[in-house]
Amino acid sequence: MGNAIGRAVDARDALAEIVRGEHVSDDPATLAGFTRDHSDELPIPPWFVVRPGDESQVRELVGWANATGTPLVPVSSGPPHFRGDTVPGRPGAVVVDLRRMKAIRRIDRRNKLAVIEPGVTYAQLQPALAAEGLRVVTPLRPRAGKSVIAALLEREPTLVPRYHYAFPEPLRNCGVVWGNGEATYTGEAGYGPPSLDAQWAAGMRQVDPKGPAQTDFVRLLSGAQGTLGIVTWASVKCTLLPETRKVVFVPAHRLEHLIGVCGRLQRLRLGEEVLLASGSLLASLMAPMREADRSELPPWTLVVGLAGRAMFPEECLAVQETDVREVVADLGREHGLEVADGLPGIDSDGMLEILTGVSAEPYWRLADKGDCREVFFNATLDKLPDLVAAALWLAEESGYPAADVGVYIQPQQQGVVHHCEFTLPFDPADADEAAAVRAFHTTAVERLAPAGAYFSRPYGPWANPVYARDGGSTAMLRTIKGVFDPNNVLNPGKLCFR
Amino acid sequence: MALIDYRPDAMRCTRCSYCKWVPLDLVKSWRYAKGCPSVEHGRFHSYSGGGRLITYLSLLDGRSEVTDRVVDIAFKCQLCGNCDVTCKVCRYDMEPLAAQHEFRFWLVEQGRVPTRYESIIDGYRRRGTMVGDPNTLVGDPQSDGLRWARDLRVKDLNTDRGEVLLHPGCRFSYDGGLGPVARTSLEILQEAGLDVGVLGAGRCCGGRVYHMGYRDDFTTAAEATLAAWEAAGVKTVVTLCADCYHTFKRLYAERGSSVEVVHMVEMVARLLAEGRLEFTEEVPLTVTYHDPCHLGRQGEPYVPWDGVEKKIFGQAVVYDPPRPRYNGAQGIYDAPRDVLRAIPGLELVEMERSREAAWCCGAGGGVREAFPEFNAWTAAERVEEARSTGADAVVSACPWCERNFLDALRGPRGGDGTGVAAPFQDSGVAAAPAGRGVAAPGVTAAADAPFQVFDVLDLVRQALPRKGA
Amino acid sequence: MGFTPEVYKLFEDIVGPENVSDDPAVLDSYAFEVLADLVRPEQSHYMPRPVAVALPGTTEEVQALVRVCNVHRIKVKPLSTGWYHFAAPQSDEHDTLQLDMRRMDRILEIDETNMVAVIEPYVIAAQLQAEVMKLGLNINVTGAGASCSILASACAYAGQGPMAYWMGGNAENLLALEWVTPTGDVVRTGSLGSGAGWFAAEGPGPSVRGVCRGTFGSRGGMGVYTKCAIKLCHRPGTTEWNVHGTTPAYRLPVDDLFRVYTLAVPSWDAWADLYYKIYDNEIGYIFHRQFNLAGANLAPAFWLMYNDHTKTLGDVEWMAQDPAVKELTEEMRISFQFIMAGRSTGDIELQDRVLDALLQQVGGWKVERFCEDDMAEFTNMYLQRLGHKHINYVWAGGYVGTWMQIGTPDWVKNYIPIASAGLERDAADGLLVQCGGDAMMGSGSGFPGGGVTGLEQFVSYDANDLESTRAAVRHMEDAVKDAASHGLPPGKEGLYLELSKTDEQVHAELAAANQPAIFRFQRKIKDAIDPNDIGDRLYATLPPEG
Repeated sequence: MGNAIGRAVDARDALAEIVRGEHVSDDPATLAGFTRDHSDELPIPPWFVVRPGDESQVRELVGWANATGTPLVPVSSGPPHFRGDTVPGRPGAVVVDLRRMKAIRRIDRRNKLAVIEPGVTYAQLQPALAAEGLRVVTPLRPRAGKSVIAALLEREPTLVPRYHYAFPEPLRNCGVVWGNGEATYTGEAGYGPPSLDAQWAAGMRQVDPKGPAQTDFVRLLSGAQGTLGIVTWASVKCTLLPETRKVVFVPAHRLEHLIGVCGRLQRLRLGEEVLLASGSLLASLMAPMREADRSELPPWTLVVGLAGRAMFPEECLAVQETDVREVVADLGREHGLEVADGLPGIDSDGMLEILTGVSAEPYWRLADKGDCREVFFNATLDKLPDLVAAALWLAEESGYPAADVGVYIQPQQQGVVHHCEFTLPFDPADADEAAAVRAFHTTAVERLAPAGAYFSRPYGPWANPVYARDGGSTAMLRTIKGVFDPNNVLNPGKLCFR
Repeated sequence: MALIDYRPDAMRCTRCSYCKWVPLDLVKSWRYAKGCPSVEHGRFHSYSGGGRLITYLSLLDGRSEVTDRVVDIAFKCQLCGNCDVTCKVCRYDMEPLAAQHEFRFWLVEQGRVPTRYESIIDGYRRRGTMVGDPNTLVGDPQSDGLRWARDLRVKDLNTDRGEVLLHPGCRFSYDGGLGPVARTSLEILQEAGLDVGVLGAGRCCGGRVYHMGYRDDFTTAAEATLAAWEAAGVKTVVTLCADCYHTFKRLYAERGSSVEVVHMVEMVARLLAEGRLEFTEEVPLTVTYHDPCHLGRQGEPYVPWDGVEKKIFGQAVVYDPPRPRYNGAQGIYDAPRDVLRAIPGLELVEMERSREAAWCCGAGGGVREAFPEFNAWTAAERVEEARSTGADAVVSACPWCERNFLDALRGPRGGDGTGVAAPFQDSGVAAAPAGRGVAAPGVTAAADAPFQVFDVLDLVRQALPRKGA
Repeated sequence: MGFTPEVYKLFEDIVGPENVSDDPAVLDSYAFEVLADLVRPEQSHYMPRPVAVALPGTTEEVQALVRVCNVHRIKVKPLSTGWYHFAAPQSDEHDTLQLDMRRMDRILEIDETNMVAVIEPYVIAAQLQAEVMKLGLNINVTGAGASCSILASACAYAGQGPMAYWMGGNAENLLALEWVTPTGDVVRTGSLGSGAGWFAAEGPGPSVRGVCRGTFGSRGGMGVYTKCAIKLCHRPGTTEWNVHGTTPAYRLPVDDLFRVYTLAVPSWDAWADLYYKIYDNEIGYIFHRQFNLAGANLAPAFWLMYNDHTKTLGDVEWMAQDPAVKELTEEMRISFQFIMAGRSTGDIELQDRVLDALLQQVGGWKVERFCEDDMAEFTNMYLQRLGHKHINYVWAGGYVGTWMQIGTPDWVKNYIPIASAGLERDAADGLLVQCGGDAMMGSGSGFPGGGVTGLEQFVSYDANDLESTRAAVRHMEDAVKDAASHGLPPGKEGLYLELSKTDEQVHAELAAANQPAIFRFQRKIKDAIDPNDIGDRLYATLPPEG
């Protein structure tokens, strides 16, 4: 059938054949859920939403998309979405909702490895791992429906810098259907037969993320917003579940005062979770919180988790705590820093729950006012005070009170890279506030990049100014896109793939 | 031995490039990690110890021919022996330094030598020494060679007999700019009651012509010298020169000499240890000691060997009987340091590249004579390193090193005979390549700081009790 | 097209006449490479000879040379320190310009606060380590040792080693890099391209560095890496480098915050168990089965000989027969070296307690003789600097690593008996060094935090003996067969043997790989990035389509 209706019928038939009828949807309510998110991307309803159940269906979908020139938008996490990467950038797109693929394929205690599908969430995975004495390091209080694989592919910062050897740790190997329909495994799994069962039968595990061959395929996928391939499984490195835990706090009036201590902890690989947070961020995390406590929160806090595991866990934790206190005493004396066992309204157990659990509903970033925007970039630790000051100045300039901005700084890659994030909650019904937030969000690259902020994950409106700064990478990325997704069927319109 | 005898060394070279660096365990900075002047100056791999092995392997295999570049590769090297030390940190079956000597002999036999060599060797044959410009003599060997000993009562072993020979070497004999080291040494030996004499002028050990590849000329010199020693009844030779020391200790011994060879710093250390010499005068200096290649890593005693390669454990390459292992482990490093440490008021500080890892002064292997720019470049690099220690002076136990450092400090024709150097001035040679990049803090010495060059014996002289006191 | 005197003049114009040569003897010093004799016709020690060698001093000079080569269809092969036949030209049919990167030898920056160093290609590990140690920092010195280029290991080769367990392999440690692509364009990856400095490897968006290196880099087959940033890590204790001792066995005193042990276990099962327990307990700083490179039958005698400068290699023969040494040989038959570093006294003491408990659990022990001061200081020196890696060749000047398939300890332990039996069999005729079937060496983990390891069989042969060399080749072929007969992929020998094969053979093998699409993708990447084919086949691809 040649007309639009006819094409839709053909498409529905074709999609239904691939994923079975009940997993193809074009009902308005379903489409609406994938039409817009909390970003400022133009709302473009998808044509269909399909829910594949396994890798072969994903392959067929990609093959069909190439044959028909239909854009595909892969989505793994449940709502809410924030960054515009999971809504169509082109009309006529088919959303590939991967949440049906939620099997935990294997948990390997000896190798501390979990092999999971893209629909597996942190809420699902952590208890299953705990039963085996393991856990996976998470981002800061992920939402319940957050896909583990999606978070790691998008290089969401994780809480334990000591275990973050490199990006996209702890993501190791993946099964991928690339934009051209070819399927391969990444990392060491790329050397074995294209079947996990066959690899396991041969004693192979999917540990080493490098390669295969001369290409780090997983790094091409990371930060790609689904534009190069669709991941159908991944291995994720876990840690032993701690047997004893504690959190200590180092409050400070100024961010600058914490930089030395934070850097030293990274260098010593000391502490489990290590992060820097503004008072407003802590208040959002701990909400609901008594106003009296909220107002007494220090402007800045270094949060340090401690954990004892394996042999002699109590002694292990005790040595860590002694060492942390020594570092603070040594490097924080000048600024009067001290280790505290709690903050107003926050004690060790409460913070542990925040650091190890998933968010309650509503998602904590939305809980304050119903909506929020985030601005985030990477920087080195020493540049952070100036960059944070510049960002908060920009917020004020945009009409948003700097004091309300939640600032979250997460050391990554064992202290070499720092994720710096600004959360601006706002009431979507308050037009002025929303406008201020939007102004801040859209001008962030232009204002902060020249000062040294590196926008490594350029979502939505950041893409153009970010890629304008780096012609060499832009050209190379387009070359890569041409290799892996020559017909531009995967999430077109994102990044520099306009 | 012939060049072909070193073919196995070339075949077993792995191109690891250790020969370009000081022993890697000893690397203490970016700036002073490199150990081979030749490859740092010549740059291409062929200018390294291993590269030369491959170069002549290529020639032996008929894959290439002797070109001007090949001649340059073979001769633009001080034969300082750093490559030999670093190679042997891990290997027992390689002799890169000996192979390089053989490479030169082979080229000299074919008449393929650097253009300057002809006049140099001609001058040597006419005058019997390498010191001075072969065309414009700085010192007339026949008349000037014993000038340092005038007005001293000393036995002439040309006509007399004596058990101990003081051999100052050409450089101390004819280079008036190097100060009264020979004279001081003679006085020390005499005061120690030794039956010491000298052999008069014109007696070059022949070491430098050997290093340049003229084996026959060396043999002539060695035979004449050994005959003179025998005639005089010499049992011990005390030399002031590291080159002569190596020549007597290793090369003469290889030709059957059983004469004991002692460097003057060893003799002073011995006399100090025995209480026969005492230092009383303060020498308030901070100095750094430069190990001469031929006293340090090449100063090991000769061990006769006439054996063959054999295999154990199937293919492991060993030698029957065990082959002596010249790897710098037993060089003369401690004697000069012991002497310096015994001087009141003197502080000894070390350069990063010291002992078996010392950077060459630049003068050896015919380089001073044939490649003045490379020579000056190498010396300047060492002077810079010496200055980086914060020392007031660099001290050596070889007149060739001293002369080179003095020239590096004052320009190639410098030297006023006082042994006290003028302030450092850029001699215009290319900056050491390691001068680029991030240097460790404090390694760049101020260009206007006074810096001096001494022989160990210069400082010994200052530390001895004042006569008449 | 191809190399002509006019092209040579262009090279001279770019780098200066003193920095380019086409003298055959000079060129042969680049063609001659270790391992060439195992893959070249008639066991020649020479890889294909380049038509010229040039020494660029800047990124711009590299660009200019590469562009000339594009115009004239000359292949470009860069080397930094150049140890292995991979560094030489690979093609007999095509003209190749060898780039010797030695003039680009600067450490551009050491950022202590952020633990980042920026380097050029000819900075060797020993240099960078020496500089960062002054600041209490350290780097991962790769298994190839301190003489090798850190940039090359990070960008173009494997980059693992004894320190990767704690410090990360240089693949993980590679941050931003500057890459002259095969067409002569300059790409600056990560934060560098955005003008934000050198600290971040990834992005913006997908990581371009993903096409620069994978398990291995392109080994000089896909452009030239001219600068890179490398992640540094902490080194507790003194910032002094107080090396002492007599050559060749230099020694490094063991700081109070360090422990240096040789550990042994009764079985390979216990070996694997201990590795896993070490990973779980996160103890250790440098973790390597090092000394066994001399072969389990001879290693104790060899290292005791090596530590006595008055002895020489032949002494191993009688020393190995000494009853005390024989006893030691049995004691440390399955052993490895393990260095722990504590961030504090409390930490190192706890690590010691943990280690003792783990040894008890697996029935292991500390090898006392090798934990005494002299051997501990020697072990400390050896593994902290890796300045003795050329000792791999100590027996006879020829060594080839076989096996070394990377996997979990449980997986690796299964191939050790196969590899051992294979070497015993192949050395039985005396054409290979007979040092015990287990001459296997390897890192405690090839990835930071533990998880994957591998053991490489050290096969020593006389590189000056044609029959011995041929025996080494036969052993490599046997190792491939031995592995295949147990369902295992080829090890390092497979990588080496690839150089002896025709393009057609290589393409056929890649097409028969478990996942040939990987090499189809690499073909497409090559076609897009290197349209004039100035790289070589070490960047592995299927043949051009059509």
